[in-house]
Amino acid sequence: MRPRIAMLCCGLLAAPAATWAETPMSYQRTFGPAVDPVTRLAWGLGTVSLVVIVVIGVLLLGSLLRRRDAADGDSGQLAVRHDGGGMAWIYVGSGISLVVLTGCMVWTLIVTAAVARPPSPPLLTVQVTASQWWWGLRYQGAQPDRTFTTANEIHIPVGQPIRFELASADVVHSFWIPQLAGKMDVIPGQTNVLWLQANKPGTYRGQCAAYCGVQHAHMAIFLVAESAQDFAAWQNHQLAETPMPVSDSDRRGEEVFQGHCAVCHTIRGTGSAGHVGPDLTHLMTRGTIAAGLLPNTPGTLAAWIANPGSLKPGTHMPAQVLSGSELKAVTSYLTTLN
Amino acid sequence: MGRSASTEECRRRSRGLEGSFFRTSHSCLRVEYLSSLFDRFHSKVLFACCGLLMVMSSSCKRSEAPIPVNRPYETGNASFTGATLNSAPNDPPGEWRSQAHDYANTRYSTLDQINTGNVGKLRIAWTFSNGTLGGQEAAPLVVDNTMYVVTPFPDELYALDLTLPGEPIKWVFKPNPSPIAKGKACCGPVTRGVAYANGKLIYNLLDDHTVAVDAKTGKEVWRIKMGNVETGETMTMAPFVVGNKVLVGDSGGEMGVWGWIAALDVDSGKELWRAYSTGSDSQVRIGNDFKPFYDHMKGKDLGIGSWPAGAWKHGAGSVWGWISYDPQLNLIYYGTSNPSPRVPDQRPGDNLWTSTIFARNPDTGMARWAYQTTPHDRWDYDAVNEDILMDLRVDGQLRKVMVHFDRNAYGYTIDRATGEVLKAAPFTYQNWSSGFDMKTGIPTVNPDKEPHPNVKLVNVCPPDIGGKDWQPSAASPRTGLVYAAVFNMCMDVTDNDVSYIPSSPFDGMDMKRYPAPGGNLGEFIAWNPVTGKKVWGVKEVYLTMSGVLATAGDVVFYGTTDGWFRGVDARSGRVLWSQKLGSGIIGQPITYLGPDHRQYIAIYAGVGGAATVHVDKEAVKGFDFPAGGNSLYVFSIDGDSMSNGQSQLGGMDSISKKSPQSGTSEKQ
Amino acid sequence: MDHCAARAGMGMLAFALLTPLSGCRAAQGGSSMTAQSTMNLPAESAAGAVPLGQLAGAPAETATSLSIANPYEHNPQAIQAGRQLYLQMNCAGCHAYNGKGNMGPDLTDTYWRYGGLPVQIYNTIHDGRPQGMPAWKRALPPDEIWKLVAYIQSLGGTVSVSNYEHARQGDRPGDLIAPEAQAEAQP
Repeated sequence: MRPRIAMLCCGLLAAPAATWAETPMSYQRTFGPAVDPVTRLAWGLGTVSLVVIVVIGVLLLGSLLRRRDAADGDSGQLAVRHDGGGMAWIYVGSGISLVVLTGCMVWTLIVTAAVARPPSPPLLTVQVTASQWWWGLRYQGAQPDRTFTTANEIHIPVGQPIRFELASADVVHSFWIPQLAGKMDVIPGQTNVLWLQANKPGTYRGQCAAYCGVQHAHMAIFLVAESAQDFAAWQNHQLAETPMPVSDSDRRGEEVFQGHCAVCHTIRGTGSAGHVGPDLTHLMTRGTIAAGLLPNTPGTLAAWIANPGSLKPGTHMPAQVLSGSELKAVTSYLTTLN
Repeated sequence: MGRSASTEECRRRSRGLEGSFFRTSHSCLRVEYLSSLFDRFHSKVLFACCGLLMVMSSSCKRSEAPIPVNRPYETGNASFTGATLNSAPNDPPGEWRSQAHDYANTRYSTLDQINTGNVGKLRIAWTFSNGTLGGQEAAPLVVDNTMYVVTPFPDELYALDLTLPGEPIKWVFKPNPSPIAKGKACCGPVTRGVAYANGKLIYNLLDDHTVAVDAKTGKEVWRIKMGNVETGETMTMAPFVVGNKVLVGDSGGEMGVWGWIAALDVDSGKELWRAYSTGSDSQVRIGNDFKPFYDHMKGKDLGIGSWPAGAWKHGAGSVWGWISYDPQLNLIYYGTSNPSPRVPDQRPGDNLWTSTIFARNPDTGMARWAYQTTPHDRWDYDAVNEDILMDLRVDGQLRKVMVHFDRNAYGYTIDRATGEVLKAAPFTYQNWSSGFDMKTGIPTVNPDKEPHPNVKLVNVCPPDIGGKDWQPSAASPRTGLVYAAVFNMCMDVTDNDVSYIPSSPFDGMDMKRYPAPGGNLGEFIAWNPVTGKKVWGVKEVYLTMSGVLATAGDVVFYGTTDGWFRGVDARSGRVLWSQKLGSGIIGQPITYLGPDHRQYIAIYAGVGGAATVHVDKEAVKGFDFPAGGNSLYVFSIDGDSMSNGQSQLGGMDSISKKSPQSGTSEKQ
Repeated sequence: MDHCAARAGMGMLAFALLTPLSGCRAAQGGSSMTAQSTMNLPAESAAGAVPLGQLAGAPAETATSLSIANPYEHNPQAIQAGRQLYLQMNCAGCHAYNGKGNMGPDLTDTYWRYGGLPVQIYNTIHDGRPQGMPAWKRALPPDEIWKLVAYIQSLGGTVSVSNYEHARQGDRPGDLIAPEAQAEAQP
C-alpha cells in the first residue's frame, strides 16, 4: 500500500516537473519583473489556500471521525458540548483568517502596483499589429529613420523594460507571452499598452489568447531576449535594406516575387512595399514561418508558398499559380534574405 | 466729400503714364466739366459742347505710354497696405504671356477699359469649344494677337487667330499622349496651362512628357520624357519660364511617386538639373548655401532621416503647383505636395521635404531656404499653392515678402529672402491646429484631429483639399490687397492601412466633405497681408475653385463651380456683375486687348478636377455639380467684338482671304 | 474496494488527466471556408475565351461563355474576402471606398464600358484595360479575383448571368420587345 501511495505521490509531483522543460507557455515559472511578483503571489496564495484547505479538512475530518461519548448518544440532547471553549474556536479562527486575508490583500495590492509600471522608463517601444493569424512588429527608433518593420519574432535586450503598443488590424486578439507578462487583449479601434522585461536570455514563446478565427491556435509569437550587443547588432541588421539580387536565378526569383508576392509583402530594397502580409526583408533571420507553425527551412517555405491553405486551412494567403520552376526560383531567392 | 475735393481726387487718379485726361472711365471728371459749362454758358452752346465732348471721348484712343522696364506697379492712394508689386518681365500689357501673368504671380492687369463703372455691361462677345470634356483648369495665353488654348487629356493645343472675325483656328497640335495616364491622375486628367518662350509654347502632357510647339506653325519642336507614367506619375502643372530655362514638376502625391522639379533648356528641351523633394541632400540639391530660417530644417540628409527606413522613396512631395521668381534675388519659389501615403501612422517623422516651400537658385537648382508649412502632414495639406511676391511694410520695416494661402488654412506672409514667417493667420475656418508658434515656425497640432487607421474621425477642418487648393489668387497694387477664392469645409475621415503597389494609389484616406459652420462651401475674399485679416468676403453656396484676375479697373473676377462668373469691386467687395456660364468654373480668368483695341475678359467653363473627386454627388447642396463643359467664354463691354454684328461675318468673304493652296487664312 | 485502492485509482485518474495538459499539441482546427481546391472555379481558358467585342459574322450572340457564373456569388464569406481585397489591393484608391468612382469609374451604377457580366468583370480585373486599369492576373490567383467579382456583384450594378444574351444589346429585365425585334432575336 505505502509504496503504491508513494509512487502515486511521486508521479503526481514529477509529472509537472518533467513537463516543465516541454512547456514554454508555463506561467508557473516566469523570468521578468512584469510577472515575477504575480507568480510569487500565485504560489503564495496557492499555498495559503492549500493550507486553509488542509486545516479545515483536518478539522472537518476530526469532527466527523471523533468518537462520541456514550452519554451523547441519548436522544434529546444536543451533540455540541456546552463548554466555554466553543466561541474560542470562532474568535481564533476569524482572527487568523482576518490577518491572513488582510495580508494577502496587501500583498496583492503591492504586486498590482509593482507590475503596473516598469521600474525605469522603457527605452524601446515596439508597435505590435495583430492580424489573422500573424503578428506585425514595428520598432520605433530614436530617430524616424531608425524605425523598421518585421514580423512574428520579437528581439529585445535582456534586463531592459520594453513597451509594447498593441493594435489590431481586424478582430480581437490577445497578446500573451506567459513567462514574461500577463495577457493583454488587442482590440480593434484602440491601442493597448503593455510592458515587460526579460531577466534571462533565451527564447520565450507566446500565443494569441483570445479566439480570433479558425487559425487562432496557430498564432504563436516568439520573443528572443539577448545581450545588449547582440540586440544592437540585430537591430542594425534589420534596418539594412536587401541588396538587389545578382545571380540569374536570384533575379528570376525576385521577378517572380515582384509579380506574385509584392502586392502583399515587403522586401525593403526591391521597391515592393505590400502591407497585407509579413515583412520579408530579413526572412531568414526568423526561426519559424506562418506564425510559429512551421520551421523556417527551404522545404517548408516551398510547401507553404505552394499551398498555404493545406498547412493552415483558412489562411488569407492565397495559393499562387506558380510553375515548378517559378516556385523553385522564388523559394531560393527568399532563402537569400538574411 | 465736396465737389472740389472729388475733382482733385479724380485728377490725381487719372494722372499718370497711362491714358489721357478725357478717358471715359473717369465719369466724375466728366460731371464736373459739364456742370461748370452749364454754369457759364447758354443751353445751345452747352449742347454743342456736350456733343463735342461726347464725340471726342468716344472716339479717342487710349494712348499707351510705354512702361519702363522693371518699374514697380503704381501704388494707388487708397491702398490698404502700400504694397508694391514687380511687373517683371513686363510683357506687353495687352497680352497675357504666362499663366500667372508675371514672375511675381500677381495675375494683375493694368488694363482698365473695363472698370467698376461699366463692368455691369459685360456681355459674351464670342465663345470657343475645345471639344474635350474634363476639368478645364488652364487659362488661355494671348501673344501677338493669337490666342492659345489647351485642353485636358488628350492635351490638344489650339491657336486662334484673333485678328479675324470668328477667331478661326490657325492650327491645332495633337500630341497623342498615352491613355494609361488618364487612369493615374488623381483629380481629373487636367492641365493647368501652357508657357510661352522664344516663339515656342511649352507644356506638360499628362503622360510625363514635356513638349515644345512652334507658336507660328504648330509643329512640334522637341519633346522630352520626364518620367514613367506606368509608375503612376503624371504631369499637370503649367511650366514656368525664367530666362532661357523652363521649370517643370511632377504630379502624384496620391500615387507614391518621387516628387521633383526640373529645369529644361527652352530651345533644346534638354534637362539641366533636377531637384527631388525627398532623399539625400544631394538629391534634394541642398548644399553649403542652404540657410533655412528655422532650426528644425537644419541638419544633414533630413529627406531620409525624417522617414522610417526606406519610406522616403515613395514619399511624394510632387511639384504640381505654381512657381514664382524674384529677378533681383535670383530665386524661384514653389511648394511640394503632401507626403505619401495619406496615412500618417505609416510614416512617423516630419517627412521632409514634403509640404514645404522652397527657394532655389534657378541656374543651379540649389536650395537657398525651405520652410515646411505642415510638418508630418496628416490631412493632405500640400504646400503647392502660389506664392505672390510683393514688397510691403511689416512693423515699420520694408520687407520683400511672399503671400501664400496654404492648404492648411493659414495665410502666410513670409520674408522671401530668408524664409522667416512674418505673419500666419487662418483665412478660413480650421480646427486641426490650435495655434502657431512664431518662434519655431511650427503650427500646434490639435491631438483630437490626428487620424489613426480604422478609426473614424469626424469634423476635421479644413478637408483634404484644404482651406484653399491650387486655384490661384491675385494681387492689386492699387488696393494693396490679395484676392483669393477659398473654401469653407470640413471632412469626416477614416484612414486605412495601404500597401505600395506601383501604378496603383498609395493613399488610404476615406473621407466625406461637407460645409463648415455657415453653410457655404466657398467664399471669395480680400486679404490684407500685413495684418493677416480678411477685409471683406463674398460667400457662395457652391465651391469657389477658380483662379482670380485683378485689374486696374479695380474689378476682380472669379467663378463658382455651379457656373457663375462674377466681377467684384476690389475695394468694397460689392458684386457688380454676374454671368451664368454653361458649366462650373475651375479655370483661370485672363484679360487682354484685342486687335480692335478693346479689352476682353476670357474664362473657361468646364467643371471637374479635385472639386468633383471623392464626392457623393447627390448628397449635399453645393456638391450637385453641373455637367461637364469645354467652352471658353470671352466677354467685352456690351459684347461688342469683331465676331458679332449685323452682317454675314466670317462667311464667303473670308474665303477670298485664303490662299488658294494652303487653305489657311492669312493674317490681314 | 478498499479506501487505499480507491485513492490510488483517483490518483491515477488525476495523473492521467494532468499529463496530457502539460504537453499536448493543439489539434488541427476545422475550417468553415471550403478549401479552394474543392471550389468549382470556371476554367481559366473559358474566361479567357470570352471576346471583348462582338463576334464577327454570327447573326446572334452564340458565345455561351458569357453565361459563366461566379461560383462565389451571394457567398457572404467570399464577399467579405472580396471587400478585404478591394481595400488591400488599392481598388478603393481609384474606385473610392464606397465604390462610386473617382479616378476609376463608378462600380455601383449600371454602366459598364467593358461589360457588366461576371465573366466580363473578371476579365477586366484579370487583363487590365487601356486607360489605367492594371492587370491583376499575375498578382492574384483566379480564386481571389472571383471573390473580388463577388464583392462587386454585391454592390448591385452588375448584369445578371441570366440576362447574358441580351447584355450586349442594351436590354434590361422587364423591357417590352417589339415583334420585329423578337424575330431578330431568334437565330
